Amino acid sequence: MSAMDSTTNTPCPFPGTTPAVHQSIGLLTRQLHDALSGLSLTDKLKDLAEEIPDAKSRLSYITRLTGEAAEKVLNRVDLAKAQQDHIAAETRRIGALIVKDPVAAVAKGHVMNFITDVEKSTKEVDQHLTEIMMAQDFHDLTGQVIAKVVTLAANIEVQLVQLLIQTAPQEANLKTPHPPVATPLPHQPVLAGPAINPKGDPDVVSGQSEVDDLLASLGF
Amino acid sequence: MSNELRFLVVDDFSTMRRIVRNLLKESGYTDADEAEDGVVALHKLRNSTFHFVVSDINMPNMNGFQLLAEIKKDEKLKHLPVLMVTAEARKEDIVMAAQQGAAGYIVKPFTKATLEDKVNLILTKLGLK
Repeated sequence: MSAMDSTTNTPCPFPGTTPAVHQSIGLLTRQLHDALSGLSLTDKLKDLAEEIPDAKSRLSYITRLTGEAAEKVLNRVDLAKAQQDHIAAETRRIGALIVKDPVAAVAKGHVMNFITDVEKSTKEVDQHLTEIMMAQDFHDLTGQVIAKVVTLAANIEVQLVQLLIQTAPQEANLKTPHPPVATPLPHQPVLAGPAINPKGDPDVVSGQSEVDDLLASLGF
Repeated sequence: MSNELRFLVVDDFSTMRRIVRNLLKESGYTDADEAEDGVVALHKLRNSTFHFVVSDINMPNMNGFQLLAEIKKDEKLKHLPVLMVTAEARKEDIVMAAQQGAAGYIVKPFTKATLEDKVNLILTKLGLK
């Protein structure tokens, strides 16, 4: 025998549940709907839900940027180490030549060639070190993006806590102390932060040359 | 003159402040101080002598636009060139910076050459180089 809904006389779709339980679920659903409507939570949750794909692309951006930075650093370290090995080998070689015949080492230009070579190599090593330093800019860029994602997560938490409080059964409201209502974080829409996908967005520049063109068009 | 110029690098990320300072040093500008936001920067600018400001935009307490506005309305500071170095890539932000009196605008990530070029260009225009 299946349970019947007492109001419609239709069979209850969940065998084993009583009409009273079914009615209670219906009542809860109505309360949830009213609570959401009263609080305008549906709109807020909808807005937040729409930001989740953006948060996903922000996280992908972080993964990409950190990966590129690590790759860049490792490549530059490889190149710098090769230069260092070269300088070390050349130093040993010229040292041996000087020990063998110092006058010939100078006269044949070995010493001068070595000095020129070392100067060139150290300049290249310095460039690699500068690039390694520049690669650390990912900390700033990803930090800004992470802050935005954290703000989104905090806003979702605030909305969910409010939803939980509003929809809790009356008995639960009486028995359990209310959790402190989190204050919504201040919305900061003024600054957009790093451009995650600048290509195809006409409002965003994709590089320094576009900045320069824009400023030039303004007479700056 | 380059060696006598004093720079103030304003950014809430210490990594970026260090990068900019190192790049300035490599370009021959060895005298630079740092500030982590606009409030600290303004305090330093009003209590010491600087010739050039390199500032981020997105910072807590006082952002780069607010700092720029404060500098430009201060009789003693308004002559200071302010180069914005920021991740804010919206055209409206670039236009706003220019309208507010920024001397230049660099979007992150940037290269050593870009920073060097912009600083030298600004200093040349001002007759400081």
